[in-house]
Amino acid sequence: MIELTNVSYTYPSTVQPALHRITLSLKKGRCVMVTGPSGAGKTSLCLAASGILHHEYGGKKEGSVVIDGKNVADYRSLSELARNVGVVFDDPEAQMIFTTVEEEILSALEHRGLTATVIEDRLARIMRTTYLEELKDRSPHNLSGGQKQRVALAATLALGNEILILDEPTSELDEHATKRIADILKNLKEHGKTILLIEHKFDHFRAMVDTLIVMENGTITAQGIPEEVLKDNHVRGMVVPDFSTVRKTIRNASGNEPIISVEDLTYCYGDVRALSGIRLTIRKGEFVAIVGENGSGKTTLVKHFNRLLSPTSGDVIVNGKNTKESSIAALAHDVGLVFQNPDHMFFADTVREEVAYGVRNLAIADGDAVIDATLRDAGLTDSVSLYPRWLSRGERQRLGIACVVAMQPNVIVLDEPTTGLDGYEALLVISILKKLQEKGHTIIVITHNRDIAHCADRIVTMENGRIIADTGGA
Amino acid sequence: MTVAEILQYVHKDAFLHRLHPFTKIVFIVVASVMCLISTNMVFLALMVLAMMAFAAYGDLLTESLRQLKLILVMSVIFILITVIVMPNGDILGYLIPPGIPFIGGLVPVTTGGLTIGVVLTLRFMVLIFAFQLFLISTQPRDLVHTMEKAGLPIDYILMFIIALRFIPTLQIEGQRIHEAQLARGFNPGTGFVGKIRSVAPIVIPLVSNALLRSSVIGLTIDMRGYRIGKRTHVRERVLATRDYAVMGVLAVAACGFIALFLAQLV
Repeated sequence: MIELTNVSYTYPSTVQPALHRITLSLKKGRCVMVTGPSGAGKTSLCLAASGILHHEYGGKKEGSVVIDGKNVADYRSLSELARNVGVVFDDPEAQMIFTTVEEEILSALEHRGLTATVIEDRLARIMRTTYLEELKDRSPHNLSGGQKQRVALAATLALGNEILILDEPTSELDEHATKRIADILKNLKEHGKTILLIEHKFDHFRAMVDTLIVMENGTITAQGIPEEVLKDNHVRGMVVPDFSTVRKTIRNASGNEPIISVEDLTYCYGDVRALSGIRLTIRKGEFVAIVGENGSGKTTLVKHFNRLLSPTSGDVIVNGKNTKESSIAALAHDVGLVFQNPDHMFFADTVREEVAYGVRNLAIADGDAVIDATLRDAGLTDSVSLYPRWLSRGERQRLGIACVVAMQPNVIVLDEPTTGLDGYEALLVISILKKLQEKGHTIIVITHNRDIAHCADRIVTMENGRIIADTGGA
Repeated sequence: MTVAEILQYVHKDAFLHRLHPFTKIVFIVVASVMCLISTNMVFLALMVLAMMAFAAYGDLLTESLRQLKLILVMSVIFILITVIVMPNGDILGYLIPPGIPFIGGLVPVTTGGLTIGVVLTLRFMVLIFAFQLFLISTQPRDLVHTMEKAGLPIDYILMFIIALRFIPTLQIEGQRIHEAQLARGFNPGTGFVGKIRSVAPIVIPLVSNALLRSSVIGLTIDMRGYRIGKRTHVRERVLATRDYAVMGVLAVAACGFIALFLAQLV
């Protein structure tokens, strides 16, 4: 259905090709999964394979892309291509144009030249297969990440194409939501759809993947039946990473003094009780993982540590001070918070200036030396003068951490620091955190990933705004 | 997360929701013309009350009143400006009490200035309420169809719809960016230059992310074929008896208004 032969592509105003001599073939009814580090060219491959690159982007293009027996150059426009290929992009929010779920899917159906009865039939079937029936009148900002992702998928399915291309449809989802997407895709494949999937979470899709492709630096470095490809140690480390090497450094912090004490914390957003009766003590030098489904209150809890939120009732004591009597600016010396999406913080012209921002705000002594050391530890020394948004996702994630680490807080809290990263990049982040722990920092990591949680000394599990388990790691 | 859902469609099955978008457009036009022509405070106040009554009848009163704070702030600003720049008629008092040396007795509050301020405020309220009722009770899809029928180009219609649709998204995003920067010791800044400078850490990520997102929005629109213009008509709204009834009432109201206007009563 899709044939790429020797495809190379260089974006305008760059020198390094994003894709280099890519050859791949996607047969009818098959599923090809593409994986690899961030910045390897996976999204560019999506754009190339869907014909979007040819029709919408400038730059240098070589090789041929054939979709459904016809060269992309022979398609008149994107609209014509859209009759053969459905693409789900990585940002689900941007793929919701209308304000209710049903409207979104119905609008996509209306432009296919179908009769009204067929449209109603198809609408009902798609709502059912993507489990959206109960959400049909919801608006985008009242949906979770997984629900939005399902809407984007449903609206693409509405187009009725045989070929589906999905760019990291589960990157920000928890285990449960990921499984749901995997089930839907498996079902679609069984019904004959041809699927090109960009993903990191191979385990969830193992059952449906016919061909596994590994991309690095714009080229395909491995391609074949998953079992065969995974025999290679390097590929296995990337696709199904082994975190056991970092797990060994567990230490006992039970004798240390507490750095964060949460006492009977309850927090309500309007009428919704987001946290209830939380009691938690975190000691100096601990490495704690907080796990739980989306919406279980993990982020709401950690936002209390630096007073971004104030308790509705109860107390949060950080380094001996009640947060109620402290300010966010003062608490920034004690607690550094790295949010899930690093792009929410970058505004400076260079990587170095970005890190310097927090250091200047807190008037850290010997700032320049601290900045250099932090960038070195984060493995970003070669990128100091680059524009932060040009970095790959893995590098941006490390820059986000560096920005906070350079402020030298006692406690470093990270919300999903491995989102969108491959095995090696995730391992790099975890080893950076382990080093910080050795230097005496207290580390708190929010994560969906069980393997990463097991790297911690202690795992706190949350559900519906409560702590339901608090156990030692590994 | 709580977001003030400014101008967002609220899904309900109530009177205003069941009206055809065309009827609601007629309603907006009639209400706007009336409130822009009239200079009578009592009449305008009655119009504001009428808007409230429509909102209540359409089960949208709570949603409408959400913008009350904004409206009150704007009202105070309007009245202050007109009092300062349009002094006219009898002096009722002074913004700066006469007892204060040197500047005491400056900025007189006049009946003329006050009247114009109140009239502007009331007009503003009628317009805001009318547009808000229209937008929160009309599905964007219906809005697109009605505007298409009215002959507007589809690209402009989509632009309008998307601008409205992404208000809450940008609000949430702005809030997240603000929190991320606060955690980095973000200083809101003092003095004029400080304030301007302190905007960069918030506005630059917000705009950069929005630009990145806009390319995906564009591709989505193309890939879904929204711009082709050819469409199967599903669940099309038709003008019903209640639409004709409402338009009848609006016609009577318009005639009544013209009569009052000719008699110089409004």
